[in-house]
Amino acid sequence: MRKDVAIGLPLLVLAIVVPFAWPTRYVVEEMTLFFIWAAVVTQWNLVFGVAGVFSLAQMAIFAIGGYVTGMLGLYLGWSLWLAMFAGGLAAVVFSALVGVACLRLRGAYVALLTLAITQTMYLLIITDTECFYMEGVTCRNFTGGTRGLTGYGDFGFHQLLPHKYAAFGDYFLALAVLCTATAFSVFIIRSPVGLAFKALRDNTVYAISRGIGRFKYQLLVFAASALFTGLAGAVYAGHFRVMGANTLYLSQTLFLLSMMIIGGVGQIWGPLLGAAALMLVDEALKEVVEWRLLGLGLMLVVFVVVWPKGLAGGVEAIARRWRRDSVRAFAAVRPEEVASAKE
Amino acid sequence: MTTDRPSSLLSCRSVSKYYGAMAAVKTISFDVRVGEIVGIGGPNGAGKTSLFDVIAGLQPADEGAIFFNGEDVTSASPQELCHRGLARVFQSVVAFDSMTLRENVVIGAAYGHRLRFVPPLMLDRDTLERADRALDTVGLLDRANVPIASLPVLDRKLAMFASALATEPLMLLLDEPVGGLNPAEADRVMAVVRSLAEGGLTILLIEHVMRFMVQLCRRIIIMQHGEKIYEGSSEGMVRDPTVVSVYLGSATARRLFHFLAAS
Ligand SMILES: Nc1ncnc2c1ncn2[C@@H]1O[C@H](COP(=O)(O)OP(=O)(O)O)[C@@H](O)[C@H]1O
Ligand SMILES: [Mg+2]
Repeated sequence: MRKDVAIGLPLLVLAIVVPFAWPTRYVVEEMTLFFIWAAVVTQWNLVFGVAGVFSLAQMAIFAIGGYVTGMLGLYLGWSLWLAMFAGGLAAVVFSALVGVACLRLRGAYVALLTLAITQTMYLLIITDTECFYMEGVTCRNFTGGTRGLTGYGDFGFHQLLPHKYAAFGDYFLALAVLCTATAFSVFIIRSPVGLAFKALRDNTVYAISRGIGRFKYQLLVFAASALFTGLAGAVYAGHFRVMGANTLYLSQTLFLLSMMIIGGVGQIWGPLLGAAALMLVDEALKEVVEWRLLGLGLMLVVFVVVWPKGLAGGVEAIARRWRRDSVRAFAAVRPEEVASAKE
Repeated sequence: MTTDRPSSLLSCRSVSKYYGAMAAVKTISFDVRVGEIVGIGGPNGAGKTSLFDVIAGLQPADEGAIFFNGEDVTSASPQELCHRGLARVFQSVVAFDSMTLRENVVIGAAYGHRLRFVPPLMLDRDTLERADRALDTVGLLDRANVPIASLPVLDRKLAMFASALATEPLMLLLDEPVGGLNPAEADRVMAVVRSLAEGGLTILLIEHVMRFMVQLCRRIIIMQHGEKIYEGSSEGMVRDPTVVSVYLGSATARRLFHFLAAS
């Protein structure tokens, strides 16, 4: 835990300083988006990496969070601050149902089912053409359809903050969600519950023979990973003032999946590292649009084949070697102190 | 009839298990009393492991009933049986490979001891002590923080024992505990099993090493093609013509006979 604080705290300080040091619209905007995606990936990692359930439903859970928030704002006139938490809870319920649906399936079949769920949701939204209400002479669909759900407003930072700093509101809101999401995932991974998730992943038969109920803990990991995913969806909806089915594109799911894999599946700091790396690469490739997907695909292939433990695994290996070398160098001088240094 | 603590801890009544048309376990009945060590022998493919799968709730029984500690557990799940006090050590060496040795044992201590309705967010002292006691019993406490994947087969096997013991079971199911080990390693596992037996733990043991089995078990069951072909003392076993012809062979039977006479 102390190690995690030592890694997390400097990153947090950095994230707080960045918008003041670099107050350009571009940086603030990109960082806000990075916080949102990174928050989703840290939670997805609990299901996919820690519990080893190959669910691809994370963006559907994200979309539930965003859409429920927007709809409560639009149809019931809720403040987004309140609607956001309802969106988070709706995401938890939805995700638990997905978890139940996946209970009898293993491996690739879980991936197929969850992908189908995401795709179905996408289709339901873009084929939604029925008039739900009239805005003047235009007909609006319940989900917003292909045009996206709009008209529910935002978090109101433009009224709260001076114009120059208005964009900081969403920035720090997204950062707050990412921070609590990260702290939550670290806590889960290090807690006995995380041990149960890993046990079921490592050897299901052995785990249930030692008293870990698969039903309960699979449900739990799906529910746990959904709260902050739903909140991230809500922040996304509030930030862009529109919630669209583009969040359910397969390419978006693959983009976040790449973040997790390149960062290091199941590793505590992998998702953050991967999200940062991919946002940077994506930025670099934006100039050459035709290469973007190819570049991301190639990176994914290279990591899966050559470096399956991802960036976090690589960093850890280097740190371990460095520590061993320093212990050895130390041993040359004072062998008697090495024993304690090793402990 | 029923008392608070039934003398028969495990009772199988005409239990059968079919894989397709093949009966892996066929109308098996036997009892294990509290504190008893009962051995199960028989050729490969006789259905011994399948019988354990059925008893431990991993495979549903197709016929018959199973009682544990006075209650019908015929359709109980593996985790429920574990909470009731039945812990199993598998024939193949299995482990939670991403964890340390201690974490492997903590799983048993935290989740196998009793059912937790609320998932534990912190480990209490009791749980940690239970895990360390179990590690100590198998002689691995000094290596507790080592990643289990880096340990040799013997230690991984003993880790399975430790995680079973950490659940504080009423009864152990041991499936060929010394299988796949060299003689020196087998001695260490045998010593652990003996000390558990002396400590009064009830044990049902599948074993091929007959000397070990006859030393430890007062009652032995021999299976063949899913059926029980013998149940009784080890002295009776080496004189039983069916057991000698289908399993032991006359040379082994003779050696065991002298071994029993000498001890
Ligand atoms: N899960 C299973 N599915 C189908 N057949 C099985 C299964 N498990 C065991 N068997 C078969 O049941 C028979 C008994 O196997 P097993 O119980 O492992 O014997 P033993 O432990 O006595 O060597 C074997 O013929 C084996 O192939
Ligand atoms: Mg077997």
